[in-house]
Amino acid sequence: MVNYTDDPFQMDEEIPEYYSGNDVSPRSKSPSYIPESKASSQNSLLQEITPRYSEILNHKLQQDNNLIRSRIEQLKMEEEGVNTTTTEEEEDAPKYEEDIDDKLDVNLQKKLQLEYEKTMDMDQPLTPPENFAPIINTIYRSSFPQPNNFSFIKTLKLKSILCLIPEEYPQLHTEFLSHENIKLFQLGMSGNKEPFVKISSDLITEAIRIVLNPENQPILIHCNRGKHRTGCLVGVIRRLQNWSLTIIFDEYRKFAAPKERPMDQQFIELYDDTEAIKYCQQYNLLPLKWDN
Amino acid sequence: MNTTVPNNSLPSNNLRKITKPPAVRIVPPLNFCPVEQQLYRSGQPSIINQAFLNQLNLRTIIWLASEEPSDEFLEYCNSHSINIEFVSMVDDDFDKHMNPWDSLNEPTIKRALELIVNKENYPCLVCCGMGRHRTGTVIGCLRRIQGWNLASVSEEYRRFTGSRGGRILVELLIEGFDISSVHIDKDKVPEWLK
Repeated sequence: MVNYTDDPFQMDEEIPEYYSGNDVSPRSKSPSYIPESKASSQNSLLQEITPRYSEILNHKLQQDNNLIRSRIEQLKMEEEGVNTTTTEEEEDAPKYEEDIDDKLDVNLQKKLQLEYEKTMDMDQPLTPPENFAPIINTIYRSSFPQPNNFSFIKTLKLKSILCLIPEEYPQLHTEFLSHENIKLFQLGMSGNKEPFVKISSDLITEAIRIVLNPENQPILIHCNRGKHRTGCLVGVIRRLQNWSLTIIFDEYRKFAAPKERPMDQQFIELYDDTEAIKYCQQYNLLPLKWDN
Repeated sequence: MNTTVPNNSLPSNNLRKITKPPAVRIVPPLNFCPVEQQLYRSGQPSIINQAFLNQLNLRTIIWLASEEPSDEFLEYCNSHSINIEFVSMVDDDFDKHMNPWDSLNEPTIKRALELIVNKENYPCLVCCGMGRHRTGTVIGCLRRIQGWNLASVSEEYRRFTGSRGGRILVELLIEGFDISSVHIDKDKVPEWLK
């Protein structure tokens, strides 16, 4: 079982280590040890490095500085990458290979954030997040959107985002959302992992209430890879549309490939939709509309 | 018309009384997926997809398959005033010798795209035999018009190509396609392309 209380964002605390001396190899130190005085000064450094969405808009002048900084930061991330993978393995006792996808890679998030900063000025082609697709009408699905997907996300004119992972939303993302006036719903659920962890039916029902509420649309549903948790939710939406299970599974597998989980498909089939249907009938949502 | 799942096969008339009707199941065509508002993609639709197709209120089906639809299906489209555009079955030299597994040629892609960028044809379904390669080619080129980067286009294309994966030829076609050759009428362009 994954215990999300000691969540993967602990890596945030490890960043100050870098500034505690270049001569000491970070690997030789305990990652949790931070001298208090240094920690506070490093925090201010951190704030300086972490880009704000609003600042990015007029950051041209700082670009040179940023380039240098981000290069240093990147080197640091790489070093840290080695560090954290080892500590993580020690913490979570039973590791299933397929579960790695389910966790948000914090280091990767920061790297991407920096890459985003660098490419802000260029006229980039639109990059949708992986596994992006419309589900029905203005309900969309995707993997965890990265900063380089933001310009694409803007084109969807979203009113809200439903995030299905328990990890805290990264700061750059929340700033983007508030800048674009997008409401964030978060239902942290663990994916179906054999043998013990199961997707909660109640959370899926709650997700249905959020997603099908016309006031929240256009809405984007995402988890980490847009495969399993999102796939289960989409499967349940398809059931509300009365789709044949065969086609529902086929769609699930298309998006989950090559990591299809039999338990997810079982979940979709066995989910008790009484409450979801009750909600839909209460607000006269069925049959779900393909367009407005 | 609804397609019901036959849960039993009771031939005799006196047993036909149904006390509890079987649940009506909706069957979308193979590889069905929305592309944009009122624009959909799929494999070749057939008569068992009727209940589903009814929900889409289609005005146009862009038919990329080289074989013709069944009479039954043509009749369905006729009775629902759905206009089928046979873009890849034009009688010129190239198409005469066309096999179902051949790629589309550029004039065909252009014809299909010009129907897609015209909102007068909406709601609109783009389909071919399996909804994989030909449909994937046209949707891929549409994504390029929308300004998507090629890697994302390829990711989407390959999602629908099944276990045998994507065809390099199709991806070359998408990459090489001259998107400026597609005439877009500003007054008729769909909302999402503006």
